[in-house]
This record gives sequence, structure tokens and C-alpha cells, in this order.
Amino acid sequence: MQELLLIQGTRPDMGLQRKAAQLAETGKLQLRILSVAKAEAATADDSAIAKGLVAETNNARVILAPATVRLRCIMPMLAYRLQAGLTADCTGLEITETGQLLQTRPAFGNSLMATIETLSAVQMATVRPGTFPADPNGEYPQTEEWEACFSDAVKCIEQQRQTGDQGITQAKIIVSGGAGIGSKEGFDKLKAFAHKIGAALGASRNAVDLGYAPYSAQVGITGATVSPRLYIAVGISGAVQHLAGMSGAETVIAINQDPKAPIFQYADYGIVGDWETIINQLEELL
Amino acid sequence: MKQIIACVKLVPAAAEVALDGQFRLKRDSTSLQLNIADLSAVEAALGLKEADTQVTVLSMGPAKGEALLQELFALGVDRVVLLSDRALAGADSLATARALAAGVRCLGEFSCILCGRRALDAETGQIPGQLAAALDIPAVTNGQQLEKADNGLSCRRLLETAVETLTVELPCVVSLCEYSYTLRLPSILGRRRAKDKQVEILTAADIGLVAEQCGLQGSKTKVVHVDTKAPGLRKCSYCNPEALCGIIKGVQ
Ligand SMILES: Cc1cc2nc3c(=O)[nH]c(=O)nc-3n(C[C@H](O)[C@H](O)[C@H](O)COP(=O)(O)OP(=O)(O)OC[C@H]3O[C@@H](n4cnc5c(N)ncnc54)[C@H](O)[C@@H]3O)c2cc1C
Repeated sequence: MQELLLIQGTRPDMGLQRKAAQLAETGKLQLRILSVAKAEAATADDSAIAKGLVAETNNARVILAPATVRLRCIMPMLAYRLQAGLTADCTGLEITETGQLLQTRPAFGNSLMATIETLSAVQMATVRPGTFPADPNGEYPQTEEWEACFSDAVKCIEQQRQTGDQGITQAKIIVSGGAGIGSKEGFDKLKAFAHKIGAALGASRNAVDLGYAPYSAQVGITGATVSPRLYIAVGISGAVQHLAGMSGAETVIAINQDPKAPIFQYADYGIVGDWETIINQLEELL
Repeated sequence: MKQIIACVKLVPAAAEVALDGQFRLKRDSTSLQLNIADLSAVEAALGLKEADTQVTVLSMGPAKGEALLQELFALGVDRVVLLSDRALAGADSLATARALAAGVRCLGEFSCILCGRRALDAETGQIPGQLAAALDIPAVTNGQQLEKADNGLSCRRLLETAVETLTVELPCVVSLCEYSYTLRLPSILGRRRAKDKQVEILTAADIGLVAEQCGLQGSKTKVVHVDTKAPGLRKCSYCNPEALCGIIKGVQ
């Protein structure tokens, strides 16, 4: 029987696991889950991992992986070696009964949604992490730990955990500030609020350009793509380049003093007003 | 280092884009700009340049990009090669990487290939990895702060929750984040030297590819449908801080 091979890395996506199980059933494929977490820990060389994985794909009809930074390097390498079509960062997947995969992904800063079919025998896609909801009661085949491979063509000599903040791509709640915050001090205040509610701090590009926040906090087409359960946009106008990075959020709250700011059209809840006054009120209430 | 290759893509400058009946970009109707992340690749290449290093820019796209690419000479780029051919049009990332790899093979020995981590139009970010696989060399993606190291290069890799400092052997591919470098301005001397230089245009045949390997024909993915309605529109209900509090607590 042909396989649907799900490759999980250091940060497995349980929602994708659930989706993969559904796709395997509809497409009459055998689900196989392979974890490369050990290999990722053993070597920084993604090309060595991709090379090694080729041998695991003999029965694969579909190969999926969450679009983490490392798997977004490993999957293209594997796809090239298999001469297989690969669709990046999908936000929707469907399959026919004959195992033809239909992949949906946004392009052009979200102004387009494209549906893509793969013509090669092996169909590959990476999926934006957090796109599909997980099912804690789901039953899945046991995850196989893929034998760690070794290479020192790329070596990690230091790893700096981002302290204090959890990375924004993993956060359940993100409080994101824009140019409207007005100062570095204002951003510190926003950060304190974020930490108080257990959120990570994000930022628009203008806020990063103004030096309020580090680039690693930038959300958008030239920053991180995030899909938290709750995204709170504070003093952010809602440019398409910013929306591209956060439209996958489950719930969006916008705080902006301009009632005509586009961000309100992309928010589930909004408050019009000065951000500092509103954050002060929230801090008192929480 | 002998030769450093920087891969550059020209992308539509407008926020709005036009598509043809095949859901392909109408590249003829839009003005172009250098892809933002690729500016980092060009600057990093120029920054690593030593007396005997040649910096080559490799691009693929319509011939009308030539004028924009020509400007790179004034920054100190030594050679610009543009792969341009109708047969190359409509390529997915696999076919693009195949063409770029074939182009690279025509450029002679190199130390490293620098790319932007993704393009603003298609946003796949797959080319650096696929190009490295095509050439069978290692790659580092999401890089910043590229420097010379004892046996190759060192750079930082931005992961989800950590920043790594890596060393990588040569030859290799490194993809760089947007804004990790600020592209220099042309000097007067540079402008003068640029006058004698010309973008070299190569066709699919020049780089040894046949039609089946290129463009739409050589691609393994096919866009079957496009929705132009921007997703993500929501219905906003305006509320007070008390109500927001409830929503935040609900998620915590
Ligand atoms: C190629 C390209 C790539 C880009 N990539 C990105 C990207 O990845 N991410 C990104 O975010 N942007 C990106 N941009 C920039 C984007 O187009 C916008 O310029 C940017 O997102 C705007 O940031 P902002 O909302 O913080 O600032 P502004 O647009 O200046 O908005 C500030 C907002 O704050 C509000 N405000 C002001 N004072 C207050 C107050 N006291 N209280 C409450 N609200 C207040 C204002 O009403 C306004 O709506 C990109 C642009 C280009 C061209």
C-alpha cells in the first residue's frame, strides 16, 4: 500500500498529524509518521538529513511536514532529490479518493489564494504550523524515530535561546505593537503587559524600523508568519504586508485610535481609542 | 574566495498583480523591483569580497529586467548573468532551481551562493534548498551576519525559538533574511566603471537545458485555481475593555 509520510521535526504539529490521518483515510493511503527531531539535534546540516531521508520515501505517494524553519530547508532538498513537486506553506489540504492532493496556499501577501496540484508521482507539501486543530483523543500510528545521521559540513557552535519571550511562531497569544506605540518606552510597557498575560511580543515592520522592537519580533510578509489562538494588534494600521503574517490567527483583536484603520476589517473584536489608556484599563481588570 | 554568486529575483513592484488565463503572473504589465531579501544577499557578497574575489549576480526572468540589473555594476558587482528565455517562463521552484543550477555550472568555480530567504511574490522560500540539492552542497537558510571563518563561513540562523551560530563548509548556499544587510549606494567611481559593463543574457540552450526541463513544462506543480478575494476579512464587533478581558482570559 502506498504511504502518506508525515515528517515531524523538533516541534511536531499535532494538528497536521490529525489532518494527515484524515487525508490518508480518504486517499486510501497508509499513514506513516517519522520524526527527524533526533537528527535535527545531532546535526545542523539539513542537506545531510534530506539525503538520508531519500531511502524512507520508496512507498510514498504524499509527503507532508510542518513548515518550520528547518523542515522548510529539508523538504525542498528532499523534493529536488526525488524530482517531486513541492508546495510551500499550505493553509489548506484536500485529497481525492485516488490520492491526488489539492493544496491551497496564499500568495502575494495574501491577496491571492492558489490551489495547486502536483504532477509528479510523489506529492509534497509543507503546512503552515498551527493551521489545523489538534485532536488530543486521536489515535495515530506510532511515530518512528528516524536514525540520527551525522555530518559536520554545517556545525552549530552556539545556540542562544530567546530568553523571556517564547518565540512568536509558537506563542498561543501574541501582543503586537506598531508605529502607533510611539516610543521605545511605550514598547517596554506593551511588553510588560504581554508578559503579564502570558503572551509573546510581536511588532509591525514600522515598529521594527523605528527601533522599538527586534527584527525577530516582526510579523508579516518579510517577517514571521504566526497563527496564535489570539492576536492583539495595538497601534497597527493593518497593511497587507502585515496581514499576510497574522491572518491565520484564530481570534484577532485590534486596538487603534483611528476608526478607519484597515486592521478593524481583519479583526473579530476592536476598540477605538488611545492604546495606552486601553492597556492601562486592561491591566487593572486582569 | 574566488567567486561569490548572489542570486537575485526581480519581483513586481506593485501590490496589485495581474494574472493571465493560466494563472501565471503577467510579468510584462508590471514594473519590477529587486526582491527585498536578495538585497541582503548582494550586500553580503560585496562585504565578503576580497581583492581577488569576483562577485557574480545570477538572475532569471524577462529580458526587461536587464536595466535594473545593470545598476548593480555601480555597487561593485563584477558580473551579472540573466537567464532569460520564453522556455524558462512559468517555472515552479523545482524547475527554477534546475535552471539556476545549470546557470551556476556555467559560471565556473565558486565559494558560496548567497540568496534571499524568500521572494515577495511567490514566497515559497524553497529555491535555496533546492539549488543546494541540485549542486549537492550544504545549505543554511534564514541566515544573518555572514562572516569568514577558518574553514568556510560562519553565520547566524534564526530559528523559531533560538538563534544559532553556525559554521559551514565551502562551497555552500546561504539564504539571508530581509534587512539583515543594508545595500550600499553606488559610488562615483563605481558608476564610471559600470559604463563598460554589460549584463550577459543566457538562454535555456546556452546553459544546456532542453525545453522539457524548463519553465512550465519542467514543473511538477500546477496552479489549478486562483481566488483573488483577500482571505482574512472578519466581522469586527466593537467592545469595551471589560469584554476584551473576558476574551483574553478565555484563551489563557
Ligand atoms: C515589500 C514590503 C514588505 C513589507 N513587509 C512588512 C512586514 O513583514 N510586516 C509589516 O508589519 N509590514 C511590512 N511592510 C510595511 C507595511 O506596508 C506597513 O508600512 C507597516 O505594516 C505599517 O506599520 P504600522 O501599522 O506599525 O504603522 P502605521 O501604518 O504608521 O500605523 C500606525 C497605526 O497606529 C495608530 N495609532 C497612532 N497612535 C496611536 C495611539 N496613541 N493609540 C492607538 N493607535 C494609534 C494609527 O492610527 C495607525 O493606524 C512591508 C512593506 C513593503 C513595501
